[in-house]
Amino acid sequence: MKWIGHVKRVYGGFTRAGAQGAMAYKFNFLGFFVGESLYCFVMYFIWKAVFEASGESIFMGFTITDMTLYVFLANIVGFLTNTDSTQMLAEEIREGNIIMRMIKPVNVDMSLLATEIGDKVVMSAFIFLPVMIGVEIYRYFALGYVAFNILMFLGFVVSVILSYILAFYLNLIFGYLAFWLMNIWGFSILKGSIIKFFSGSLIPLAFFPDIVGKIFEQLPFASMVYTPVMIYMGKLQGMDLLLAFGKQIIWIIVFIAIAKLIWRWAEKRLAVQGG
Amino acid sequence: MSNMIQVKNVSKEFKKVIKEPGLKGSVKSLFHKKTEIVKAVDNISFEVEEGEVLGFIGPNGAGKSTAIKMLTGILTPTSGEIIINGQVPYKNRKKYVKEIGVVFGQRTQLWWDLPLSETFTVLKEIYQIEDKAFKQRMDFLNQVLDLEPFVTSPVRTLSLGQRMRADIAASMIHNPKVLFLDEPTIGLDVVVKDNIRKAIAEINKNEKTTIILTTHDLSDIELLCKRIVMIDKGKKVYDGDLDHMKEKYGKMREIHITLKSDNDINKLSFAEKFGLTGDDIDIALDGKKAVVKFNSSKAQVSELLSYILSTITVKDIAVGEADIEEIIRRLYKGNENDETAHGNAAAVEA
Repeated sequence: MKWIGHVKRVYGGFTRAGAQGAMAYKFNFLGFFVGESLYCFVMYFIWKAVFEASGESIFMGFTITDMTLYVFLANIVGFLTNTDSTQMLAEEIREGNIIMRMIKPVNVDMSLLATEIGDKVVMSAFIFLPVMIGVEIYRYFALGYVAFNILMFLGFVVSVILSYILAFYLNLIFGYLAFWLMNIWGFSILKGSIIKFFSGSLIPLAFFPDIVGKIFEQLPFASMVYTPVMIYMGKLQGMDLLLAFGKQIIWIIVFIAIAKLIWRWAEKRLAVQGG
Repeated sequence: MSNMIQVKNVSKEFKKVIKEPGLKGSVKSLFHKKTEIVKAVDNISFEVEEGEVLGFIGPNGAGKSTAIKMLTGILTPTSGEIIINGQVPYKNRKKYVKEIGVVFGQRTQLWWDLPLSETFTVLKEIYQIEDKAFKQRMDFLNQVLDLEPFVTSPVRTLSLGQRMRADIAASMIHNPKVLFLDEPTIGLDVVVKDNIRKAIAEINKNEKTTIILTTHDLSDIELLCKRIVMIDKGKKVYDGDLDHMKEKYGKMREIHITLKSDNDINKLSFAEKFGLTGDDIDIALDGKKAVVKFNSSKAQVSELLSYILSTITVKDIAVGEADIEEIIRRLYKGNENDETAHGNAAAVEA
């Protein structure tokens, strides 16, 4: 287990630096917070209209309270697992600054990951906690009792961390496209739309036709938003819960393997831009 | 053998996409890509001893940067072999880079948004330097590079000269055996350049660090390197000591004159007075500004100056040194004239 200490020491520096970097621009949080909240309320009113129009109190197994929770949770999970790795990597490749990482005894992917985790930890403290408290207060008033379950919450946190790592590597693979395309703007828009749709951050996957929903749930995108939200809402229990974790871990392994393969291939064929 | 760096028959080829000009060409290249192979580095060999400072020079686009990137483990050679500090740079990059330091003058390895001291803390962890060794090291670098005044400032607020000093310190923090400095004085003013040169010389003297230095500034080379390797169009064109090259190809000096009247320049006859003819002299006139380039091994600067000043009236006069491009230009001519006579220079395409 010596290597764990080693990794912690080497990449801990990146994490701390990432956190400090985030603190340097702390007013960003405010803008971000307000913007995302507005988006959530818009989504909430749209779904409220849908529920009222349907005339039923339960729609595809979701009550309006569930749906409200879903909107806010999907948004906060989307925010927590949102990763800039595509852009960071693509920009470093395009400008050739990736060589500054390569002259250090570190893995390129791990150093990017560690830096962004530092950034995430700070952002979470500013945004995650207030939103979660708000969600629980809403739930208490809507249901009339405290529904908070510490085990579900811990399961949710673990699942979000797995989601983030999965999202990071998926995005990193897109970033590597810059080795061939140099400018990946178009592809990253495409990737963003795919993730938004298939991850359930727009529409819960349960709302899709049965077979389609089942297929979507197996895809890696579902593990990125839908899984943690369903865990928090207590809709995944027992075997289903373990299965969901298993799926997340398997997808992480697959994407790390792909990313490593691409990197090993690219490293040997690298052509560095400029200077 | 105490060779720190061994480079043997190294070449690097790139595939380059050829695009026909204009929009039509752009559209065409979407569907049918024409490529050609460019040899950025072409069969280069040289060795560097431990503790040596080697000047690695050549004009823009000569393949210097590509060569440095291969030496630092970033690029893999298409063919040939590199052994540095007993390791092959591109085989096990992470292990290899632990014992080298690199400065790319046009880029920075500092954390842009953090105080400078934080970069050093991060580097301390990356290289796993013990507290005591780290403190000693910082003291030494502080003393040589004078980091104290700005060590707590965010990197983005540093001046270019401060940033360069910090970058050099960052590349030295782990006591590397080999230091690669790619244009470490680019864009700096004379005073800062001088400080940086002194620091590099001191580091080399104190630590016996092997240094490879690329630069466009001939003064960098003169003050720091005994030996130079020069490349052009990917090939090695010279490998030997600096003094020898100067003797061989003549040390070109420049005299910049601002004339009082346009025709005055015609009153000067360097051929008659000093025997400077052909390649040994070149006079360029632009309005009232004249640049006289001449071979200072054939005639003394002071003699030329007094001749000019006594013959014509000038508004201003200054003496400069010819740049690397000029030396390379002359090196070519020399090679074309007596290709076989020169032992050190590699064959050059005519």
